[in-house]
Amino acid sequence: MIKKIKNNLFIILVALSYIFLFIFKTPLAITSIKNSGYYLKEMLMIMPIIFVLTALLDTWINKETIIKYLGKEAKAKGVILAFVLGSVSAGPIYAAFPICVLLHKKGASVKNIIIILSSWAVIKVPMLINEVKFLGLNFMLVRWVLTIIAILIFSYIGGKIIKDKDLSVDKAYEEGRVNLNIRACIGCGICSKTYPELFDMENQKAVIKELNDVDQERLDDAIKKCPVNALNK
Amino acid sequence: MDIFTLAMWIITIIFVIISLIKDKQKTFKSLKIALKMGKAMVLSIFSIIFLIGLVLAIIPPANIATFIEGQNPIIATLGSAFLGTITLIPAFIAFPLVGTLVDASVNIVAAVAFLTTLTMVGIVTFPLEKKEFGLKFAITRNVLSFIFAILIAISMGVIL
Repeated sequence: MIKKIKNNLFIILVALSYIFLFIFKTPLAITSIKNSGYYLKEMLMIMPIIFVLTALLDTWINKETIIKYLGKEAKAKGVILAFVLGSVSAGPIYAAFPICVLLHKKGASVKNIIIILSSWAVIKVPMLINEVKFLGLNFMLVRWVLTIIAILIFSYIGGKIIKDKDLSVDKAYEEGRVNLNIRACIGCGICSKTYPELFDMENQKAVIKELNDVDQERLDDAIKKCPVNALNK
Repeated sequence: MDIFTLAMWIITIIFVIISLIKDKQKTFKSLKIALKMGKAMVLSIFSIIFLIGLVLAIIPPANIATFIEGQNPIIATLGSAFLGTITLIPAFIAFPLVGTLVDASVNIVAAVAFLTTLTMVGIVTFPLEKKEFGLKFAITRNVLSFIFAILIAISMGVIL
């Protein structure tokens, strides 16, 4: 319960501030919701395809390809590809999150992930066109060149500071993520015998280990075999 | 819908069709994963969106302009860079706004700082970034982006 609240703290805080505003400052709350409208539309236009694209990439593109083109050894080729990927994509910066997480899982380097995220945020082609319209070609070009230089430098620094393992956090939507109802678990150990790479026993209860490539069939098998249905996807 | 969003839709649809031809079962499995991914992120994204709405209601973009105009260059630059980090303004509002600032010969450094942190550094998206990439990544990327946003702004001031 406490963990659940902690994980969703941000959502809860935003919801609470809205409730508070609606009670004490209704007009401000209404303005806020109206302001959100544009962003909602932007999100609905882009996020569904982002998720589908990410899932398809996950299924069809193998690790070797990603490592070859965006991995640590990809050098200049990787950097250019990362810039292009970020610049031609549409959508707000958070749209880049699922794709970048996946690319990293498949072997893209931290440096290239930072390049994709940053160029996705600031040097998108539709944005540049808008910038020329309002601020002039000169302004846009100078800012564009400076931004690319800046991204090159700080993605390099970021790649040195951040290690690959720093990114392996608990990803809620990880493929084949499995939930364990610890109260229901009777500690029979069948799951850890069925899929020892994923399950382990500790203090007579099952625990789920960190595993990057989960074999869905074996996981399904383990879920099916659990006598008390303590496991579910 | 702009052409780029449209292009992404078309590319995605083509991918789905190719994937279906190659392997139906795998495709359906992917679509299921996509749905699961969406479910896991949807609440966080909604929170971000409504938080942006809230921030914009409390600090309207026009006020940001007034704020930048009245200050001395250093405070204006740091202040606008900071304001840029909390808000996320769509380009079609941000560019006209920054355009007016530059036309009104407000110092260009502040305007550029604002423009850059606006999109690259995100306090509102920070919780989601942390959830997806881990704390260290989120902090490092945002701090580095902020520092370089200011460096870009200063260089622009020197060049233009």
